[in-house]
Amino acid sequence: MVGKDCVAIACDLRLGLQALTVSNNFPKIFQYGDNVFLGLTGLATDVSTVSDLFRYKVNMYRLREERNIAPRTFANLVSSSLYERRFGPYFVSPVVAGLDPKTGQPFICGFDSIGCIDFAKDFIVSGTATEQLFGMCESLWEPDLGPDALFETISQALLNAVDRDALSGWGAHVYIIEKDKVTKRLLKGRQD
Amino acid sequence: MPGFDFSNYNRNAALHARGVPLPKATSTGTTIVGCIYDGGVVIAADTRATSGPIVADKNCEKLHYIAPNIWCAGAGTAADTEFTTALISSQLELHSLSTGRKPRVVTCMTMLKQHLFRYQGYVGAYLVVAGVDPTGTHLFTVHAHGSTDKLPYVTMGSGSLAAMSVFETQWRAQLTRDDAVKLCADAIEAGIWNDLGSGSNVDVAVITPEKTTLMRNYIRPNERTQKLGSYAFPKGTTAVLNEKIIRKEEIGKYVSVLELTEESDDKMEVDT
Amino acid sequence: MADRYSFSLTTFSPSGKLVQIDFDPFLHNYHHLPNNQPTEYALNAVNQGVTALGIKATNGIVLATEKKSSSPLADPSSLSKISLITPNIGMVYSGMGPDYRVLVDRARKVSHTGYKRIYNEYPPTRILVQDVARVMQEATQSGGVRPYGVSLLIAGWDEGVLPEDDEAGGEGKGGEKKGEEMEEEGEEKKKPTGKTGGILKGGPMLYQVDPSGSYFPWKATAIGKSATTAKTFLEKRYTEGLELEDAVHIALLTLKETIEGEMSGETIEIGIVGPPADHLLGVEGVEGAVGPRFRKLTPQEIEDYLTNL
Repeated sequence: MVGKDCVAIACDLRLGLQALTVSNNFPKIFQYGDNVFLGLTGLATDVSTVSDLFRYKVNMYRLREERNIAPRTFANLVSSSLYERRFGPYFVSPVVAGLDPKTGQPFICGFDSIGCIDFAKDFIVSGTATEQLFGMCESLWEPDLGPDALFETISQALLNAVDRDALSGWGAHVYIIEKDKVTKRLLKGRQD
Repeated sequence: MPGFDFSNYNRNAALHARGVPLPKATSTGTTIVGCIYDGGVVIAADTRATSGPIVADKNCEKLHYIAPNIWCAGAGTAADTEFTTALISSQLELHSLSTGRKPRVVTCMTMLKQHLFRYQGYVGAYLVVAGVDPTGTHLFTVHAHGSTDKLPYVTMGSGSLAAMSVFETQWRAQLTRDDAVKLCADAIEAGIWNDLGSGSNVDVAVITPEKTTLMRNYIRPNERTQKLGSYAFPKGTTAVLNEKIIRKEEIGKYVSVLELTEESDDKMEVDT
Repeated sequence: MADRYSFSLTTFSPSGKLVQIDFDPFLHNYHHLPNNQPTEYALNAVNQGVTALGIKATNGIVLATEKKSSSPLADPSSLSKISLITPNIGMVYSGMGPDYRVLVDRARKVSHTGYKRIYNEYPPTRILVQDVARVMQEATQSGGVRPYGVSLLIAGWDEGVLPEDDEAGGEGKGGEKKGEEMEEEGEEKKKPTGKTGGILKGGPMLYQVDPSGSYFPWKATAIGKSATTAKTFLEKRYTEGLELEDAVHIALLTLKETIEGEMSGETIEIGIVGPPADHLLGVEGVEGAVGPRFRKLTPQEIEDYLTNL
């Protein structure tokens, strides 16, 4: 979710096997630099594989280029990597959030499982609670939210959406990314 | 492109057989059109991207750059239109650099159809290819299976029937630039209103021998109105169990930097 | 020296040299060093080549060379020695033309397959230089091939913070400083150096690549037959804070020192990395589109510079 000079990215913590909950501490957000974050929903084995794959790719990028990857560049890397498996995709739909290192402007985008980028100026949603999240975000989000307001908005959107999805929930992580700091919060959520 | 990686294919087929639903690809259930006029060619598109019945993107870009003088409008599987056009654009740029000539629309169309035919329709890109090159003004459609058409006005995508109805009733020979832009925008609007897969705004590109003018969101008939109420929550609404703040400057204290002197530089020289 | 080891590309001589390939440009580009024997053959191909030079300015780079034709019947307009690789990177050579054209094709191709098709942006200059250098290095230890008989000058412009902005910036440029390595933030606190790493390091870049695959960044340099004379001249003429227009001027003066034929728009080739040429873009209304920075000067433009010399 985009705010004023800040972005937020949040995920729930459930790991489930259809209706059976296996873990209530399975974060789905990964950091790839000062302010480049990737959220991954979908098949858990692919969430792990894909997050490791990008850890490798981003580390190689950093060694080769002697710089951190910019969010937009990372988004294109994610996109081309997913499209390479056009006919045997990973079952994930990633979300990228970050701040442009040159301009400081917020950047978010989402992908389908074969790498089509959805550049959005407001919010991106993904996962089993997609439909609920679309509804929540569409009504709660407004432009130019400050870091604190953005935190409340994204948290309420996420918590209330996952409460209407049997397959999501069990606590949540929220990252608020600002120019000089990143705030990570663990939310209290229903454990049913 | 060296090719696709099929290594997950069998696994995914097995998962699917056991009831794991296959992920939905974003598609541009779309209205795209093109129309030649005296002195150039116009292409236009709506800006809705869908994932099943959900609107995935309300203002996506369906007009793709191939070369300065060649542009493509894409319908079908969004990732396929995006990457197929990017690949052909890349190949055409290298071709143009090594031949020292401007790329031609037929070349682009031929490369696209050969690529799509090779994948037997599984690469789901349905394209309108338009451009101006030293041989003249051209407009083609390319279907995912590799067939092509050459016509003075074309429509594609789920809204193609709505759009074609506009062309069939209003098109005439020797259009001016403004007439062609109006006609194309009207055709897209027909798709926006009458086809559920199309919506939001109208993007238009006008290609002339001199330059291409992209008019992003040329018409915005579906502007979002101001929200009537604000749902901003007071600070502290959400219950937080744990908070961690990562500040950049704090990391500095774990790092020490040694400036190397000039002399020690010499000693370290191993190249000579 | 030039006996038992001179035919194998990949066998070191007892003195530690690969005599088909010279690894040290400084040995041969400077006369004060004694060894100038015809042993390091690949670099000799370069050192017999037509002189090419490059000068870095604050706001751009100039590449220049002489277009020499062997016969008055040759048609020089079809000959081209300076090539565009990406919209912001250009290249010139000294040595064997056919080898150069192979490398130009490889450089253009690798900038797409190895970078643009992955990141949807063109490679920074140093990445391209490394890719080309790798191609040239591989030819020094592969079977069945000979080294490329060219040295290259590769000039490009990278997006990022310019050196002068950076030094002036220090603190207070939060927006631009932000993406910097965490380590450097710490470094800055203790001692503000002008160093910027990675994404922030923008501006003009000029590199030389040799047949061995080694590469060097330069402020100004020359390669080819009269490289030594040209570099001596450049050392005298080069000043810090040079503007692009002055650099073109100096490039022509340097060329004049070394050239054999007459100087004209037909016999001189110049490529510049300068401000974005948006008029060459061919499109308008595309958000974030920037024109190419590298372009070759037309014969007429060169003539204009020559008359003002």
